[in-house]
Amino acid sequence: MAGLSPSERRLQKELMSLVKEPPPGVTVNSDLIERNLLQWLINMDGASGTLYEGENFQLQFKFSNKYPFDSPEVTFVGPNIPVHPHVYSNGHICLSILTEDWSPALSVQAVCLSIVSMLSSCKEKKRPPDNAFYVKTCNKNPKKTKWWYHDDSV
Amino acid sequence: MQQLFFFGKHTISNTLNIYIKTSNGSTLSMNLNPQWDIKNVKEIVGPKLGLQPEELKIIFAGKELSDTVIIADCDLGQCSVLHAVKTKRPVKFDNSGVFSEELEDVGSKPLCETLKDLSNNEDLPDNNQQPKAHFYVYCATCKAMKQGKLRVRCHFCKSGAFTVHSDPQSWTDVLESKRITGQCENRPEECENILNNTEPTFADFYFKCAEHTSLGEDDEAVPLFLVRSNVRSIPCLACGDVCNPILVFPCLEGHVTCLECFNVYCSSRLRDRQFYQHAEYGYTLPCPTGCEHSYITEVHHFRLLSEPQYAQYQKFATEEYVLNAGGVLCPQPNCGMGIIPEGDCRKIACIGGCGFVFCRLCLQGYHIGPCDLPDPDNTDRKDCDYNVDPVRASQARWDEASKVTIKVSTKPCPKCKTPTERDGGCMHMVCTRSGCGFNWCWVCQTPWTRDCMGSHWFG
Repeated sequence: MAGLSPSERRLQKELMSLVKEPPPGVTVNSDLIERNLLQWLINMDGASGTLYEGENFQLQFKFSNKYPFDSPEVTFVGPNIPVHPHVYSNGHICLSILTEDWSPALSVQAVCLSIVSMLSSCKEKKRPPDNAFYVKTCNKNPKKTKWWYHDDSV
Repeated sequence: MQQLFFFGKHTISNTLNIYIKTSNGSTLSMNLNPQWDIKNVKEIVGPKLGLQPEELKIIFAGKELSDTVIIADCDLGQCSVLHAVKTKRPVKFDNSGVFSEELEDVGSKPLCETLKDLSNNEDLPDNNQQPKAHFYVYCATCKAMKQGKLRVRCHFCKSGAFTVHSDPQSWTDVLESKRITGQCENRPEECENILNNTEPTFADFYFKCAEHTSLGEDDEAVPLFLVRSNVRSIPCLACGDVCNPILVFPCLEGHVTCLECFNVYCSSRLRDRQFYQHAEYGYTLPCPTGCEHSYITEVHHFRLLSEPQYAQYQKFATEEYVLNAGGVLCPQPNCGMGIIPEGDCRKIACIGGCGFVFCRLCLQGYHIGPCDLPDPDNTDRKDCDYNVDPVRASQARWDEASKVTIKVSTKPCPKCKTPTERDGGCMHMVCTRSGCGFNWCWVCQTPWTRDCMGSHWFG
C-alpha cells in the first residue's frame, strides 16, 4: 500500500473489513469505491420488523484527507430518502456522531450501525418539523450546519 | 549522505574515542577497541593512576561495569565519558601475588542491557521476556527526533560517577526526581551528608542523543516519552497500520497513533487553532478520541511537526499565553507583538516591537476620550506641522482598507469580541477561539436560541 496517504490507508482497511463483514442490511460496491477512495456509496436496507422494512436507501460518504481526524460528510442520496424526524428531505442527517461527537475511533461501519439503529428506533415516519425551511436555505454540505442535538429518543 | 558517513565511521576506524574521568579529577582520552572488555580498560587505566587494575571500578550510566562486559555492548558513543574510581573493597592477592580469579566479580552489566522497556504502568510484572528499552528524544543539535540514551548522575553533585541501587521500573522513576537511590562515587561523604542524612543519595536521570557525537556531559536531550517502540504491535487508531515507533497518548486507555497520523492530527488541530492552553502544561492537545485527562504534558512532542508548522505552533502558543495572561497583541500588520501591560493603563506602546502606540480597548491608534469617535479623517489635518512619510501613508491606506474589509466581513463574538468571519453555513456560530467556544447567532449577535433556529437558522 505504498504511496497511499494515511487517510487512504485507513479507508482501504475500512473498505476491506466492510466488504468482508458488513453490518446486517449494508452492502458496498467496492469496485466503484476503489476508483475514488474519498467518496463512497453504501446501500442500506430497512431492517425487518421496523417502519422501513422493505425499503432501500443509499448513503453517500465523503472524506477529507484529514480523515479520521475530520468526520466524514454523510448524506442520504438517490430516489428514496427515509422519512424520519432526523432526516431532512435533502438527505441531511441530524446525528451528533457526524459532527461534534465524531471521534477518530469511529468508522464507516460504526456510522452505518448508528444510522440503522436511528431508523430502527423510529416510531412515526415524519420529517423534521423545520424541514421545509431548512431544505430551502441550508448549505449543500451538512457539516456547515451547526445542529443542536436535543432529542435522543427517536 | 549522513547515513553513509555514519556507517563509514563505524566500519573503517573501528575505535571509540572515550574520555575517562578519574577520581583525582583528571580526564584521560583513550581510543578503545569495541571488542575489548572492561578488564582490558582497567589494565590500561590502572597504571596511569598508579593503581592495580583490580583496585579500579569503571562506572557508566549508573552501573559499575563487570570485568567481562564488552565495550561494544555498553551503548557508548564517540566521546562518551566513563568514570574510573578506586574501589573500597579489600583487594586480595593469592600467594603468588596474582589477582585471584575466584574473587567474586561485583560489577554488573551495563544499564542498556539490564533495563526493560519502561511502561507508565507501575505494577507491570517483572518479566524477563520483556524487550530492552528504547528511548526517543528531541535533539536540539540534530533538530529532530532521534534515538536517545539514558544516563545517570548524582542528584546532588551532578557527577556521573554514581551507581544506582536498582534500575528504574517505570517512566515515573525516570522523569520524577528522588525515586531511585544510589551511591555517589565522586564525593560520597558530602553527598550522603546532604540534608543531615535525612534522605538517601538519589539518582538523577537524563537523556542524550544517540546519533551525534557527544558534546560533553551537558549535552542533554529532551525525552519524548510518549514515543515508544511498538512492542505489542498495536495498530494506529487512525490509519490502522502497525508502525514503529508509535505515540502513546497519556489517557487511561493508552490510545496509539503512528507518528505520521500524529502529525496529521496536530496539523489539522493547528490549522483550526484548536489546541488548548493548559495552565500547567502549556499549549497542548488531548488524545484524539477525546479521553479525559489525556493532555500531552511535555510539549516538546510537538517538535514532531514540520519546522514551519512548529513555528506556527509557537506563534499561536505565545498569543494564547499573552491573551490568557490579560495581555494584548499589537494590532499593527506584521507585528503582533505580545504585550502584558501593568495595571489598567489604556495607552499601550509596542516597546521592543514596531513602536505603535494604541488604545487597549479598541486597538486603534491611541486617542484621548472614549473609543469609537467619529472617523478621524474628518478632522482638519492641514494645520499639522509634521511631514508625512509617503511609505507610511501608503501603509496607512492599506491598514484602512484592511479595517474596512474586517468591519464589513466580520462580526465580533459577543463574548470575547474576536472578529469572526462566516464563510457559508448556518447562522449558528461557535467561537473557535480556544477557551471561548461561545454559541451565538450571526443575525442577532446574541446567544443562540431555539427562536433563532426557528426563524433564521439559515438566514
